[in-house]
Amino acid sequence: MLTKYIFVPAAAAFAAYILNKKNKKAGATITALVSAYLLLSLALIYGSWELNQSFNLSLMGYQLEFLMALTPLSWLFAVLTSAISLLIAVFSIDSQADFKFSSVFNLNFLLVIGSIMGVLFARDFLTLFIFWELMTWTSFYLISSGKKKMAGRAAYRYLILSAAAAYSFLMAVIFIFQQTGSFAFEPAAEFLLNNSAPQSILLLLAISLPFWVKAGIFPLHVWVKDAHGNAPKEFSPFLSGMLLKVGFYGLIVVFHQLSFFKIIENTIAYRGLPLLSYLFALLGAVTIITGTILAIRQEDMKKLIAYSSISQMGYIIIGIAIATPLGFSGSMLHLMNHLIFKSTIFLALAAVIYRTGTTKMYEVGGLIFRMPLTFAAYLTAIIALAGIPPTNGFISKWVIYQALIEKGYLFLALAAFFGSIASFMYVFKPLSTVFLGQLKPQHQEIKEVPLLMKIPMLILIGVIVLFGVFPGIQMNIISQISGDLGIETVNYSLYSIQGAFGAWNSLYIFNVFAAGFVIALLVFGLAKKSKLVGLLDTYSSGEYVTDAESYHYAYQYYRPFDRLFDNLAAKSLTGFYETLTANLLKSGESFRRIFAAGRVQNYALYSVLLFVILAAVGWII
Amino acid sequence: MIDLIYKIGHFLLITVFATALGLLFMGIARKIIARIQKRYGPPVYQPYLDVLKLFGKDAITHGFIFDFGAVMALGGVIATLFFIPLGSWQLYSMEGTVLLVIYLLAVASLGMAMGTVGSGNPQASIGISRALTQMLGYELPFLVILFSLIFRYQTSSIWGLMQAQAGSFLNWNLFAYPMMALVAFVVLIGMMGKKPFDAMIAPSEIGSGPVVESGGKYLGMLLLQKSITIIIELALYVNLFLGGADNIFSFSFKMLIVWILATMFGSLFPRFRIEDGVKFFWKWPLGIAILQALYIII
Repeated sequence: MLTKYIFVPAAAAFAAYILNKKNKKAGATITALVSAYLLLSLALIYGSWELNQSFNLSLMGYQLEFLMALTPLSWLFAVLTSAISLLIAVFSIDSQADFKFSSVFNLNFLLVIGSIMGVLFARDFLTLFIFWELMTWTSFYLISSGKKKMAGRAAYRYLILSAAAAYSFLMAVIFIFQQTGSFAFEPAAEFLLNNSAPQSILLLLAISLPFWVKAGIFPLHVWVKDAHGNAPKEFSPFLSGMLLKVGFYGLIVVFHQLSFFKIIENTIAYRGLPLLSYLFALLGAVTIITGTILAIRQEDMKKLIAYSSISQMGYIIIGIAIATPLGFSGSMLHLMNHLIFKSTIFLALAAVIYRTGTTKMYEVGGLIFRMPLTFAAYLTAIIALAGIPPTNGFISKWVIYQALIEKGYLFLALAAFFGSIASFMYVFKPLSTVFLGQLKPQHQEIKEVPLLMKIPMLILIGVIVLFGVFPGIQMNIISQISGDLGIETVNYSLYSIQGAFGAWNSLYIFNVFAAGFVIALLVFGLAKKSKLVGLLDTYSSGEYVTDAESYHYAYQYYRPFDRLFDNLAAKSLTGFYETLTANLLKSGESFRRIFAAGRVQNYALYSVLLFVILAAVGWII
Repeated sequence: MIDLIYKIGHFLLITVFATALGLLFMGIARKIIARIQKRYGPPVYQPYLDVLKLFGKDAITHGFIFDFGAVMALGGVIATLFFIPLGSWQLYSMEGTVLLVIYLLAVASLGMAMGTVGSGNPQASIGISRALTQMLGYELPFLVILFSLIFRYQTSSIWGLMQAQAGSFLNWNLFAYPMMALVAFVVLIGMMGKKPFDAMIAPSEIGSGPVVESGGKYLGMLLLQKSITIIIELALYVNLFLGGADNIFSFSFKMLIVWILATMFGSLFPRFRIEDGVKFFWKWPLGIAILQALYIII
């Protein structure tokens, strides 16, 4: 019974739309309930990997078969989707008043959930395509419903890229359909394996294009920043946490289930890795570096975290592309962990935006004393993002490092190191400018967010620490996925993972940490008690400090570093695409002038010319 | 139970020893710099007096994050210390992979950064922004070096890397890979925030940056944190390049040599601007480290 995961959210979507007109909170409540239901019933079918379902449809003489099945991979993604949408829905119950069209938001949100489920369970290209497009369109409406002026434009860019990629997908799929007479994955994989390798590779690249776009890998990452930055604050966690990951789901399907890696197995290799795979990993490395450098420059908190998402996607694609047991496990771990800590960050920032109404970091400051729980959520999440033990983010990065060093991929490792160390810089910027520093006079009266917003953040903090100490919980499902895809599994226990050069044991780390902090606390506690003074009562080199606003270091936080990359950042890829569009429009205009200027004489000339050419061709033949 | 008491005793012993040694090193450094500048300099035991004095003084705080930051900074380095083999002393050092130590050190840095920025003083924020920028500068070449070492010896545990250099002193990485050792030495100077790379504390410019608001026990704790950090970083260098040691005395002696050299080199150069420092790290140390790594993996 896999269809219920699609139709329950879809049916609930319309119910939510109608009920939300009556009561502002009904829509989000229904979303939360539906997500909880999905989560629960997914938990019940854990392990029954033989579940499948199919429908036949006869259309214009074609026998169309819609196939669905449950695999460990799709189960994991489905669980992640429903879990995160549950948390977001609970969070958004109290912030419905912030929406222009709150009913439409809930309608679309549930439709996105349903269509993601469709994408995950699809076992044939047609089903995949239908739900993929549904997902793209509904998320397009969600992004464009953001309050900002730019939201429409950002969503438009997302849509154009997705649509262009979808056409390439469709063309390749139809080509395969003509050859095999079926849309299902298995015959396609078989056909591609036996087909000539260059053609198969081309077809699979065309098929994978929508997934690259969705995953936001360089050079197709241009939609991510604006879409994340302008989407409604409640949708950004889902967008960054889940929607980007669906792209990786597609890539894993293409790479393993459609046997892309098998096809390129015997092509030219670098250090035992087929060149094409290495190229993908290099794209990941470039993604990490681009995302990181641009994140450090940002002044808008959501856009900063969006760029950070781009760079973290680079880690995931590197691990998937090198496809060693450690690499794959590291990627999957990082995929899950990124979902967890990035949603936490976006939720914490959403809480800040909910209370202050701005996304510019230099317009806020010192919120820690007003919103301590939000601060705690943000702090825990960035510790995980920066990959500092004992949180989940460290483990996944550690596994990916091991995978890279094991094979001696120096330049990939260099990018990974760069992204990791530089992430300290960009995650500290919001910490320092939004939560620490001077509190603005206009924010004196701000309160912590309501209880329903606190609960999701608290749960996520707990999950970050839980997976930091017990990575075995995650490794359990990952080992089933890699078993299903035919990748060797990594040795692990509940709290340790065996790397290539030594093991990670979180229990030791946790104990030692506790010991260190106890000693430090003793030193602190035994010393004299200190006197509390205000934030303006500081050493200011003899200057009189009168207002908090001008005594807050926030704007262009890393100016010296940014200066190093000013030239590079000026040549942004977005600018390149825009020039390309402008040139296309211009050339289209000149074509129009030549061929369709509206002069009858021209058309007459063209028909005469065409006649002459045709006659000449006929005569020659 | 006996085991637990033994462990706790070991914990405390290592902590106290490292702190005392670090403070002694700081005193020695002050003396050396003074002599280079033709001054007499404070007595070698001056840092001990400083710590005692600081803990006896009244202090001001700027809220709970200021307190928490100081505790996190000290707790972080103490935790890191247990993962490093100090001569024959090693509590959890068999578990300590070298990548873990790098990231554990970041806990302390984050704590210190958070606490000081939490004071609300913009000069602290400027200092931290510089420190983080510089960190990106020196960590990259260092991580590339670690990459080469791990790939070369097929282990990432510090203990294993130390054992790999056993036998004659010619097996030390200092002699086996002198370029790498040189790069790591420059990185070490950057890590410890010594002279050419001290733009983040720059007392005359931004009021000592991160520590501008710390006084009394806060400054005392940061001083203790600094002393343990020095020991961790020196111990890392000695373990990775000077073959470690069998006992704590020769280990301390090796650390002292590296420390004196670093201090002397440091006091010869004027301060780098922050972006110039990063540029320098990415040009020479990183370039050499990459060449060395290419040589090792091919």
